[in-house]
Amino acid sequence: MMDTVVNRFIFLLKKQGVRISPAESLDAMQALTRVALHDRDTVRIVLRSTLIKDLRDLPLFEELFEQFFSLPKASPSPEATAEPQPPHATEPYPPEAAAEPNLASGHADDDHAHEDPLDIRDYFEDEDMVAHFNAHQDDHDLRLAEFGQNLLLSRHQELLDQVMQKATQLLKVRRVKNAGRAGELNFSEALTALDADLIADAVTELLEDLNDLDVDEQLIQRLARRLEGGMANLPELLKRYLERELALRPPAKISDPPRRRAHDDRFSEQERREMAEIVQRLCRRMRGARSYRRQISPRGRISVPLTLRRNMKYEGIPFQPVMTHYRDDKPRLAVICDVSLSVRNTARFMLHLVYNLQNLFGQVRSFAFVSDLVEVSAYFDQLSIDDAIAAVFNSGLLDTEVDSNYGRALSLFHNRYLAAVTRQTTVIVLGDGRGNRNPPHVWALEAIRRRAKQLLWLSPEPRGSWSLGSCDMPLYEPVCHQTEVVRNLQQLGQATEALLRRSVTRH
Amino acid sequence: MFASIEQTIAQLRDQQYLCDRKLATVAFLALQMRKPILIEGPAGVGKTELAKAVAAALERRLIRLQCYGGLDEAHALYEWEYGKQLLYTQILRDKISRLFEGVSDLHEAVAQLHLHEDVFFSEHFIVRRPILQAISSPDPVVLLIDELDRAEEQFEAFLLEVLSDFQVTVPELGTVKAATIPYVIITSNNTRDLSDALKRRCLHLFIGYPDEQRELDILRMKVPALRETLAAQVVAVIRRLRALDLRKAPSISETLDWAQALVLLNADALTPALLEETLHLLIKYERDTQQVNDQLPWIGEPLQTQNPPAIPSATEISLHPPTRPAELDVNYLEQRRQEHTTRYFTSYRGRTDGRTGG
Repeated sequence: MMDTVVNRFIFLLKKQGVRISPAESLDAMQALTRVALHDRDTVRIVLRSTLIKDLRDLPLFEELFEQFFSLPKASPSPEATAEPQPPHATEPYPPEAAAEPNLASGHADDDHAHEDPLDIRDYFEDEDMVAHFNAHQDDHDLRLAEFGQNLLLSRHQELLDQVMQKATQLLKVRRVKNAGRAGELNFSEALTALDADLIADAVTELLEDLNDLDVDEQLIQRLARRLEGGMANLPELLKRYLERELALRPPAKISDPPRRRAHDDRFSEQERREMAEIVQRLCRRMRGARSYRRQISPRGRISVPLTLRRNMKYEGIPFQPVMTHYRDDKPRLAVICDVSLSVRNTARFMLHLVYNLQNLFGQVRSFAFVSDLVEVSAYFDQLSIDDAIAAVFNSGLLDTEVDSNYGRALSLFHNRYLAAVTRQTTVIVLGDGRGNRNPPHVWALEAIRRRAKQLLWLSPEPRGSWSLGSCDMPLYEPVCHQTEVVRNLQQLGQATEALLRRSVTRH
Repeated sequence: MFASIEQTIAQLRDQQYLCDRKLATVAFLALQMRKPILIEGPAGVGKTELAKAVAAALERRLIRLQCYGGLDEAHALYEWEYGKQLLYTQILRDKISRLFEGVSDLHEAVAQLHLHEDVFFSEHFIVRRPILQAISSPDPVVLLIDELDRAEEQFEAFLLEVLSDFQVTVPELGTVKAATIPYVIITSNNTRDLSDALKRRCLHLFIGYPDEQRELDILRMKVPALRETLAAQVVAVIRRLRALDLRKAPSISETLDWAQALVLLNADALTPALLEETLHLLIKYERDTQQVNDQLPWIGEPLQTQNPPAIPSATEISLHPPTRPAELDVNYLEQRRQEHTTRYFTSYRGRTDGRTGG
């Protein structure tokens, strides 16, 4: 019983981007069995200490907890905040959904207030019940009722999901039949085909479950009455659900538009040599974090255990002192490169840089983005430089025609590839920071910086024009350890010099 | 033994540790579920004190491991006592040579020696460091791993085996399983993110600054000589200081030090002059001193009234230092930039003006 509620709550938290492992879910369940459940605050503390391990997730948890474990009258709707988003659609959304194409970022701060409220609780409004809650001042009774409500509602949500899935299936069949009239639906027929037994069974099961719990008899009666009211409302509810589903489904693409070809002039031998030289210099100075293991070497400090061991053959007289020092790990790189139209003329140069970095550093992962973000490490590993660049532009990995969206790309990187960034990693972002007035999502870059050893941003655009137009560089710049203007080999050389001079590589 | 949450609160109170329900619930659950607690929070809010109080309340020994950069398993888990091993081989030289009496060739000697190899890699020659001590103690103990964020990330990996299975693997001896499950408390000042694997194994607790009433209670308990009106004034001023954007806001330990100092100074009531004289007990950074001096009239406000009001919740909301109107006119972007700069360049040793290019 309780498991269902807690599972549902965890599910909603996960949907909002909180990382919760199965082990932690089990901990939460186990912890709940050890405390008295009648106190709402205790439940909150228990869930918080077992599920939330990162302070930054705390506000989200509090908000969701408030909504989830509260009286239906007071709660807006937890389901609404976590309504599943359709897999990313590049085509424009219908008006009401257009406001939140970035929910993939996993943050709730965007907007859920104006989301079309498909809330089953609306259909359970019962004057009688509300009056009961308001009039009744008995605290204990209220808590029980509250708990029962949550159980009921979460159970009921599943039931509803079942019913709706079934209805949707039926609808799909219908739509295939009269494909000419897409978008126009006939509800009455689909609904008659609904399995009435399914609903009846689930309701009985639910009431039985409630009986097991020590809820007073009267309350069960009330709940049962309300439930029936909900059932009567189902057709209307289903209709709204389906309409919504339909509205959210992006219209199918007819065919992929022919892609424009990027510059395909080749790199001269001279260019390649210079680039390799500069990157090599960079490579020599860029070190990873100090390793924790010690290594025997002529410099460093005397290691007593090792010295004693080695000199056992001289009866413990230290003829041969052994020194150890901490070794530096090999540097790791993650390169995020913008290949959109706005940097088209320098993208080639940037990718050349990426290619060289990948050749010279042992552990490099490279990513290219316009609005979507894909990992291109494999291409740069296996192909020659010209083929690799051609592959990025022409192979259909990325839609390079759309406007660049830095916020989306960064949050995608944050969500999918953050594991590639460790304390040894230097992250290099190549791009002009022009996000075309999309939300910049500076938090994603901040999160990357927090994990990375070092964050560099190389922009092809002169510093003077950063404050013009829709450029987000003023926001991104303070987050980075270093920002440099680089658009050709000469500037790269200068930037490298600057980087080396300022000893950014050691802290 | 903590029997319930209420009892946990009472038992910790007996040890002069005042905690709220949140903290007590986690402390109680940790004992029940045999899980480590990970405590995060600013310095000086009583993270380490909690471990001491728990140890005293449960009547267990407290074993403390202070973490620092470069801490390795030799200092945390165990180490072989090379000196002792060497000494013993020297002393026992006669015995060892007697061992080889009647041995004809080298092969036989090695085989003979092999039988006695274990002698020098046995429990006698192992130095037990805190974690191994905690694991192998016959009585249950409280293990405090203090300021884990100071140690390297790799060190966290060492802890994983201990924290989830309560066992330690010593290659020469095998796996040492815990005789009794220690109560583990890990603290972190949150200077860096701890690994997810570690967090997953712990109950998480964040301790922040206490609210006004609790701080007053703590003050009364720890500094009984402090007068009632003075205590209220101290708390009111401290709260105002925390509302400022200081690099190091005064925490409970600073409050207690300050109160102690006021008692020693025989102060009857806090006057603005006294506040100014003793401010250096609370403020640890030059930059903060500057800021506090600017806001001194506002901070001293609660001192004007003889009896400060007993925390009406409305005043808590309005606890913001007055800002000069001129500051509000700053361009939004510029303001954001400054904000980021102060946030990210305080720990950076390079240029601090926010610009990086040539």
